[in-house]
Amino acid sequence: MKLNRRVFVGTGMAAATSLSAPSVQAASHGKPKVVVVGGGAGGATAARYIAKDSAGEIDVTLIEPSRSYYTCFFSNLYIGGFRDLDSIAHSYGTLASDYGINVVHDWATGVDRDAKTVALAGGGSVPYDRLILSPGIDFVEGSVPGWDVSAQNAMPHAYKGGSQTELLKAQIMAMPEGGTYVMVAPPNPYRCPPGPYERVSMVAHVLKANNPTAKIIIADPKANFSKQGLFEEGWQKHYPGMITRIGPDFGGENVSVDPAAMTVDIDGEVVNADVVNVIPAQKAGLICEAAGLTDGNWAPVSGHTMQSRMDENIHILGDSTNQGDMPKSGFSANSQAKVAAMAVRGALTGSRVFPAKFSNTCWSLIDTDDGVKVGATYEATDEKIAKVDGFVSQTGEDAALRKATYEESIGWYQGITSDMFG
Amino acid sequence: MTRNTGIYASVLGGAAFVLGVAYGWTARDYRGEELATLSEALRQLEARNATLAAQVAESDDLDDRITELEASLAAALQALEDAKVAAAIPEPVAEEPSVEPQDPPEEAQTAALEFGDPARGEEVFGQCRSCHQIGQGAKDRIGPHLNGLFGRRAGLHEGFRYSDDMAMMGADGLTWELETLDAYLENPKALVSRTRMNFAGLKDPQDRADILAYLRQFSASPQNIPEAAPTAQAREVELSPEVLAIVGDTDYGEYLASECKTCHQQDGSDQGIPSITQWPTEDFVVAMHAYKRKIRPHPVMQMMANRLSDEEIAALAAYFAQLE
Repeated sequence: MKLNRRVFVGTGMAAATSLSAPSVQAASHGKPKVVVVGGGAGGATAARYIAKDSAGEIDVTLIEPSRSYYTCFFSNLYIGGFRDLDSIAHSYGTLASDYGINVVHDWATGVDRDAKTVALAGGGSVPYDRLILSPGIDFVEGSVPGWDVSAQNAMPHAYKGGSQTELLKAQIMAMPEGGTYVMVAPPNPYRCPPGPYERVSMVAHVLKANNPTAKIIIADPKANFSKQGLFEEGWQKHYPGMITRIGPDFGGENVSVDPAAMTVDIDGEVVNADVVNVIPAQKAGLICEAAGLTDGNWAPVSGHTMQSRMDENIHILGDSTNQGDMPKSGFSANSQAKVAAMAVRGALTGSRVFPAKFSNTCWSLIDTDDGVKVGATYEATDEKIAKVDGFVSQTGEDAALRKATYEESIGWYQGITSDMFG
Repeated sequence: MTRNTGIYASVLGGAAFVLGVAYGWTARDYRGEELATLSEALRQLEARNATLAAQVAESDDLDDRITELEASLAAALQALEDAKVAAAIPEPVAEEPSVEPQDPPEEAQTAALEFGDPARGEEVFGQCRSCHQIGQGAKDRIGPHLNGLFGRRAGLHEGFRYSDDMAMMGADGLTWELETLDAYLENPKALVSRTRMNFAGLKDPQDRADILAYLRQFSASPQNIPEAAPTAQAREVELSPEVLAIVGDTDYGEYLASECKTCHQQDGSDQGIPSITQWPTEDFVVAMHAYKRKIRPHPVMQMMANRLSDEEIAALAAYFAQLE
């Protein structure tokens, strides 16, 4: 990554303040202040673009509890053995050193919208002129009876990157011969629509090599899912007889679990499982609700600027939003971050603002060198972010195309993580 | 030189011709009627021998010609052997029962004439011969041989080392048909950015139509390739001077480019996704219009280009050209 010399001046100050996080508000220059909560695909990208493109005219603070960020995208490839964990881990050092971003490793616990400050779990608060919230998802309590976050070690969700992903992989590797893996799939809308099904593919890939008589059961409340035809074709081809999906027509929406007994009750039929991967129903990251920016489970935003419908000084990105047609994905959050960054700079420094354009592409790996993708472009209308055009991989594609698609996904991972973390 | 040598040469010449015909035919679809074609071809050979014998006997150059014909006969025999192995058909013999055969090369030529003149195409092809061989015994040289080109997936002809871009376009689905070949011949780098084919392109649509008519004679089942007027496709990547003259707004380009950079890395890395940093402006513009018009095959790029206006494409081109 090249140094951006225009913003290099901020470095010393940023490094110093990130050591004593709660005192950041002391570092006032009279410059406009942007605070970004959440250092994932939305937040890290927004922070980087604002810092980079404002060339030092805007103070940018990024609040993110993790020092090492594990991307949720490609975590399934770690489960499948195609990536090691280090390859999906990223730090915020370059954002601080090369872009002058004030990186604060703490939890944002609340927002005082009148005073325009963000409260930190470690004490103190950070003032903002514009606030960007990109907190990802949290889980809807009680959506899978018998499961709550305290059961996440017995029955991991692995739907936020990092330790949960490692735990799930360790449990899969430790399955007894001929054992059973059950996934409780989430209802719409949720993060990464093809994610659960790519995960099943990767679990099957690992089991095929290590434990070929093992079984995979998916209890699914949805009648249909993303790239369904492609996944089902791939499962039939690569993992015949291993994967059973129970949709709502067979009670897949009527599921409860018992983490102590390691059983899953699917519409009255109790399954003894060795690994239970519960992906609960989802909602906006807690800070959105704490700030009073949600309507139902999600935070409504304007597609033109990604501003909250409830507070024009706050922009919300990615999985937490209710924005219209875009799926909840890292690619979408990254795309929305650039629109928000442009709008924020325009509002604070008068820089040029262009009409919002968005895009998304989701690649999924079914087996070695068998990649598929789905994508679309979007634009903002007054009501929502509206889909313009799209495509999806076709069933029956030849091996060369599937391999190229997989290789493209590796290139994309390099691209988007450079775009996020510099 | 004796008359006997002349006859020998003429036999070889005739055999080479006929076996060449046979090869061209068996390369297509090795079933029933090919045997009949071979029998008929052998009969034609015998008939031609007498004529040829007289002509060859008068030649001043018999030795050279014999050598040449022996080589081409050997190649043709080898090709026929290969074809027979591939087709798993019994040895073709003259006394096989025969139906009235169609002469495949003539049929191909008739079809080809509908859209271009293969004889003129052969002349135009002269400038390609330093790198590309075509016809019997053609081998890969600087460029791949062009037998069986139509219907072939780009960049996947075995044994030839293609540029990464050509291989990628092939993997994306680019197949050599009339319209794709026409676009490629018009401006190779507009279709395949970093192709190794160092050729500026044939700007005259008639040149391209003629050369395609010529090339098509060396492909299997050319009659199965849908007819299209290559001149119509030519307009697809032929941009008006007004479009090419648009001066891009680099500020707007920078905003639009943020969308590209999710996949295309600014520092020029290309792993699975090519670099577009410092791409020459006109190449960029032509390539994006080729995606927009769905001549280039990649679905993501077709989608991304589809909603870009001429001004937006110019803005992106201007931005990426100056990007460090």
